[in-house]
This record gives sequence, C-alpha cells and structure tokens, in this order.
Amino acid sequence: MMAVKWILFAVLSSVCFNISLQDEICSSPSVTSNIYTTTDGVILSDIAFIAELVVTCQNGVKDLALYADVDGVTIPAMKSLDNNKYQVSWTEVPKKVQDGVRILRMYDEEGYSALRKVQRSGEDTSSIRPLFTVTINHQGTYQGPWVQSELIAVLLAMFLWYLAYSTKSRIQS
Amino acid sequence: MAGGKKALTKEEELLLQDFSRNVSTKSSALFYGNAFIVSAIPIWLFWRIHQMDPYQSAILFVVVTLVSTWLVAFAYKNVKFVLKHKVAQKREEAVTREIMKKLVDDKKMSKKEKDERILWKKNEVADYEATTFSIFYNNVLFLMLVIIASFYVLSSFQPGINYIISVGTAGGLLALFSTGSQ
Repeated sequence: MMAVKWILFAVLSSVCFNISLQDEICSSPSVTSNIYTTTDGVILSDIAFIAELVVTCQNGVKDLALYADVDGVTIPAMKSLDNNKYQVSWTEVPKKVQDGVRILRMYDEEGYSALRKVQRSGEDTSSIRPLFTVTINHQGTYQGPWVQSELIAVLLAMFLWYLAYSTKSRIQS
Repeated sequence: MAGGKKALTKEEELLLQDFSRNVSTKSSALFYGNAFIVSAIPIWLFWRIHQMDPYQSAILFVVVTLVSTWLVAFAYKNVKFVLKHKVAQKREEAVTREIMKKLVDDKKMSKKEKDERILWKKNEVADYEATTFSIFYNNVLFLMLVIIASFYVLSSFQPGINYIISVGTAGGLLALFSTGSQ
C-alpha cells in the first residue's frame, strides 16, 4: 500500500513538474528567421509562405507551443525535434496575395488563449502583445509576361505584311 | 515619231510578256532556294516552341517542307509575273532617260538599237525588282499565316497536326492568293 502511494506521488509530482516547466514563460526571446515566399507563380495555383524560426529564450525555456497570427488568421507553428526550431507555413490564392511586408505575430500558449478570448468577444486583438513578431517581405509573384511573345510576333508579322501589301498595291496601281 | 513610239510600247509589252513566264534558271534557283529556307523556318518554331522532337518527326518535317517549298516557289513566280509587268511600266521613263543620257554622244547607234537597249535594260530592272519584291512579299505573308495559324487558330491541336495544317494552309493560301490578283 505504501509502495503504491509512493508511485502515485512520484507520477503526480513529475506531471506537476512537467506542467510547471511547460508553463514557464519564455523571456526576451531572440529569434532568427528564414523566410520563403513563392515568387514565380506562372504554373502554380497557390502562393506559399514559409517562415522557419529559431527561438532562443534567455531563461532557457524550450519546447514552446507557438501560434502565429497573420492578419487575423491563427496558425499553429510546427515544432522540430531539436526543440527550438519552429516553422509556420500557409498558402494563399495568388489573386488575394498582397505584395510587401507582412507581420507575423507569434504567441505562446498564454498569449494565444488571451488572443482567442479577445477574438471571441470581437475586441481589438492589437492589445494582446505577442511574444515576438516576424516580418515577412513578399516581393510579389511573377504571373508571366504582360504581353505574350507570340502576340508580339503576330503584330510584328502583320505590320511587315501591311508594309509589303501597301507597296504591292502601289506598284500595281 | 509618235506613231513609232506607240508601236514600240506594244512591242515592248509583247516582249515583256514573253520574257516573264519563262523564269530563267538563275531566277528559278533563287526562287526554290528562298522557298526552301522560308518553308524550313517553321521547323524551328515547332521544334523549340511546340516541343516536337526533330528526329521522331523528321519525315513529317521533310515532306511538309518540300510541299511547302513547291507552293511558295509557285507563288513567287506568279507574283513576280504580275509585278514585273507593272514595274516595267513604272520604270520605263526613268530607264529610257538613263539610257538616252548614256548614249547621247553615240551618233553611230541607230534608233532601233537604242530602243532595244532600253527594252533590255527595262526588262532587267523590272525582273530584278519584281523578283526581290515577290520573295519579300510572299515570305512575309507566309510567316504571318504560319504564326497566326500555329499560335492562335490551331493552338489546341497536337503539334504534329498543327504543323501539317498551319504550314500546309499557309503555303496553299500563298499559292491561291498569287493566282488571284492577275
């Protein structure tokens, strides 16, 4: 009986210890980011945004559960096995993609629940301070040339033919 | 003298017509050479742009190019004939003036001989101008028809079918148009 109690105590205490570790807040995180956005959209139906983040907390907290807020849409960040690498990725329809700078607001679990609460009540989410922000600069997606090269070829050929035809008419007149 | 000149013009016209239809060997070689080059140009278009394999479609390319060469050369000849006549009429005055200026000191040469020289020179000028213009005009028309047909009219077809129809139609229309405007 005593042994069972001990085991129970050990399990409970370890669970509590784990939770307390997880709940620890990452203080002044330093973030290095590697951003990819699709720039050639000639044969694609979606534009991809990928942000790879390496988050190092000053107090050494690892294994964060991070969420990104992009223009009001919340995306959970994928976590790599080496604990401090994260990835946020999403796709957008080419027509709706805005060129230029986008701000990725990153929240930890606490910030995320606060964000959800504010979102539910329909209040302004800017009051919730993110853990950190990541800037994504999308330079625009190439959608092919404005004028197709065959059109230019046809117009050029028609112009030449017009010259030739008018000369021929002049000779024959 | 006025009556003599009139008779000469008629004579000229007869002579010109005689000259025109019989294309010289040199001129014929020029026509067929040019027609072959312009007929072979679409091969590049269908090889590089429409992604046709040149080895697999070699027979197709050769046959269509040869047929098209014949059609284009036929058009060259017809257009040249129509134009040569007109060019000769247009250049008559200038050629006469030029030859007369050259021969003005030559008292020994008879009037008939001078007229013959003028006729010969006029024929040469008209032949050269009509030949080069005919080649230019037909080349431009052929390539325009090929581009429009292959990129717009037949763009949904298989490249092989597209090639046969676009080059065949361009050559055919060229030959047809050349016989139309007599």
